[in-house]
Amino acid sequence: MDRVEIQNRIKKVISKVLNINEESIGDNANFIFDLGADSLQSVELVAAFEEEFNIEMEEDKALEVQTVADATEFISQYLK
Amino acid sequence: MSDAFSERMKNIDRIFYPKSIAVLGANNVRGTVPSDILTNILKADFNGVVYPVNPKERHLFSIKTYKYVIDIEDPIDIAVIVYPSSVMHLALEQCGQKGIKGAIIISAGFKEVGGKGIEREEKIKEIARKYGISFIGPNCLGVINTDPEVKLDASFARKTPDEGDIAFISQSGALCTAVLDYARAKHIGFSKFVSIGNKADISEVDLLYYLKDDPKTKVILLYLEEISDGTALLQAARTVIQETGKPILAMKSGRTHAGASAAASHTGSLAGNDEICDAAFKQAGIIRCEDVEEMFNKAIAFTYQPLPKGNRVAIITNAGGPGVLTTDAAIHCGLELPKFNPETTKILKSELPPTANISNPVDVIGDARADRYNAAVSSIMKDENVDGVFVILTPQSMTEIESIAKEICHIASQHTKPIYTSFMGEADVAVGVDILLRNRIPHYILPESMADAFASTYKFTKFLEDVHKPIPEFEDVDVQKARGILDEALKQGKKYLPEEEAVKVLEAYKFPVLKSGLAESAEEAGKLADELGYPAVMKIISEDVVHKFDVGGVVLDIGTRGEAEKAYNTILDNVKKAKPDAKIKGVMVRKMIPPGEEVILGLKRDESFGTVIMFGLGGIFVEVFKDVSFRIAPLDNIAAEKLISETKAAIILGGARGRKPKDINALKETIMRLSQLAVECPQIRELDVNPLIVLDDGKGCFVADTKIML
Repeated sequence: MDRVEIQNRIKKVISKVLNINEESIGDNANFIFDLGADSLQSVELVAAFEEEFNIEMEEDKALEVQTVADATEFISQYLK
Repeated sequence: MSDAFSERMKNIDRIFYPKSIAVLGANNVRGTVPSDILTNILKADFNGVVYPVNPKERHLFSIKTYKYVIDIEDPIDIAVIVYPSSVMHLALEQCGQKGIKGAIIISAGFKEVGGKGIEREEKIKEIARKYGISFIGPNCLGVINTDPEVKLDASFARKTPDEGDIAFISQSGALCTAVLDYARAKHIGFSKFVSIGNKADISEVDLLYYLKDDPKTKVILLYLEEISDGTALLQAARTVIQETGKPILAMKSGRTHAGASAAASHTGSLAGNDEICDAAFKQAGIIRCEDVEEMFNKAIAFTYQPLPKGNRVAIITNAGGPGVLTTDAAIHCGLELPKFNPETTKILKSELPPTANISNPVDVIGDARADRYNAAVSSIMKDENVDGVFVILTPQSMTEIESIAKEICHIASQHTKPIYTSFMGEADVAVGVDILLRNRIPHYILPESMADAFASTYKFTKFLEDVHKPIPEFEDVDVQKARGILDEALKQGKKYLPEEEAVKVLEAYKFPVLKSGLAESAEEAGKLADELGYPAVMKIISEDVVHKFDVGGVVLDIGTRGEAEKAYNTILDNVKKAKPDAKIKGVMVRKMIPPGEEVILGLKRDESFGTVIMFGLGGIFVEVFKDVSFRIAPLDNIAAEKLISETKAAIILGGARGRKPKDINALKETIMRLSQLAVECPQIRELDVNPLIVLDDGKGCFVADTKIML
């Protein structure tokens, strides 16, 4: 899976969890500061990423992921 | 005043008096901090414009909401930020880009959580520096300014307090909410209310300087958990108190003694953090309080009533027992119960029943109604022998609680002397207490609290009279000589100054030191004793022996040459047994100082407050009796006097149990010479003069032993 595809799927997940338009999600958008995620939604996002990509992310590290770009990089490492 | 200081004060003023506020991270989930902050601003009827900022919402509570603070078209004075700590840097960066100069950072998750939190706090400090932003917090409850000009409640407190003249600064947000609740029940209002949280930028020191010039604030209350810069705090407190006469009352938690027990000197061991803090507060004029109740008991005494001109109080009561209790409490607090002038006595005699006690404390008798209280209080308030009046009431069946309270309020409004009250009880007297407090008449449940509060106000007025005393400087000292000895010892890597060198340092500062000599043999000891005179004292000189008495290294009262020779051998034997590896330089021989009282002087460096000077009862049991007091150098005459008078040693020196009074003036001079030495020779880490023997009045004092640590 290439990075573009990973990023697109990440945006889809974010759009669903945060209930926002996929087009409005920038490549470097911060989940909290730009997209308005609260702390509960940040946890929900991690769970949704795990389900989407069928991976198990280490919780502490996963919660440090704060932007679409971070998530793309982080998940790409898992899928290698 | 530097530009940076004046810019900072301007930014703090913006925080208290904004015309526009952006609330970054606000939401509409009721019962959460981001929502309550916004609603409190709205509910307090803020006299300005509010701009909520939330990336998802287009409106909050019917107010247009912006995605980013930089999207707001209008200029913004301050930002209140409730975003999580992980994105605080992004929010603050945008505030900087928007040109905002003041911020209140509510969110937690910074230094207080350690690890990444410390990095986050450093990051926001860096951004604030870059853009010249001053901020309160993080990790705080927020800021309240009750001034009708602005009506700002940028906090998540439960209720906005009433307007008042007390400013409260607290490091604990939780204590803030408790204090607000406590104060509301007692009708106590606030001028400014600030939770400073981690005080990563604006600290209590900045706020003291700001509040100094705040016309709405008459008294400043502080709750501190840690003092990062004691010297700056003291300087700010002194400036506030000396320039404006505004009292500062402070609670400082962490009274438990820790960390000082391993110190090498008596001073180091006795001067714990809390003792130093206590001394520093006293010296600066800060009134230290044990708890919230004491703090507010005193705060209302300062703000509700005029300050007393003296310590003479009259007590008016309708019950004997409480009258006696109050008398005891007053005397215990250093107050006096004066005799009334004949005119007052005449009025009391004619207005009160024959069974009444018309001398101080006045008992108007249990069946007194409002007329008797009125007659007693109004006549005594006019008496020139009285500086303040305590009115006690116990609720009997016929006591007109409400009317008496109203009479007291009326009389108080016509005089410039303070009236304090204690309506004893709870349920029945509540109506009267309510009237008193609403009319700014201090009320206390316990007479002890009433007397203590009055004594505080009196002591504060005395403090204000004494503050401008100059620091004396002795010109006969040889600074260069003392510094030379200390520098040389440091160069050689020494941690202790050998006694003979320590004595030289003291001699350079004209401490009263008797002439002595070093003997390297029993024969030499005998010869020296003959030269210097009898009775003589001899003690071991070794860099490896600090506590000479403990190892048998001191022999006193040597009367002959033969005894001196014997003492030399005894000392050497004792030391070799106790400390076989000690390098012995010899034995010091000196004429014994005549009998006198043994006291201790010391100095210690404190990281936060600077140089601490200690005085107390001396000798080998210093740590056992702990009869010591402290002040921060440099000391003026008053500070030196108080340093002595606060100890029990002062009573002994004054001539207890028929002994002759000792030479306090010589002692005071020695203390001030020590203060000058401490300031001019920073090479000294700790110093003990123990004992210093104080002789009878006019005969001086002498250093018997000293230790200097580098």
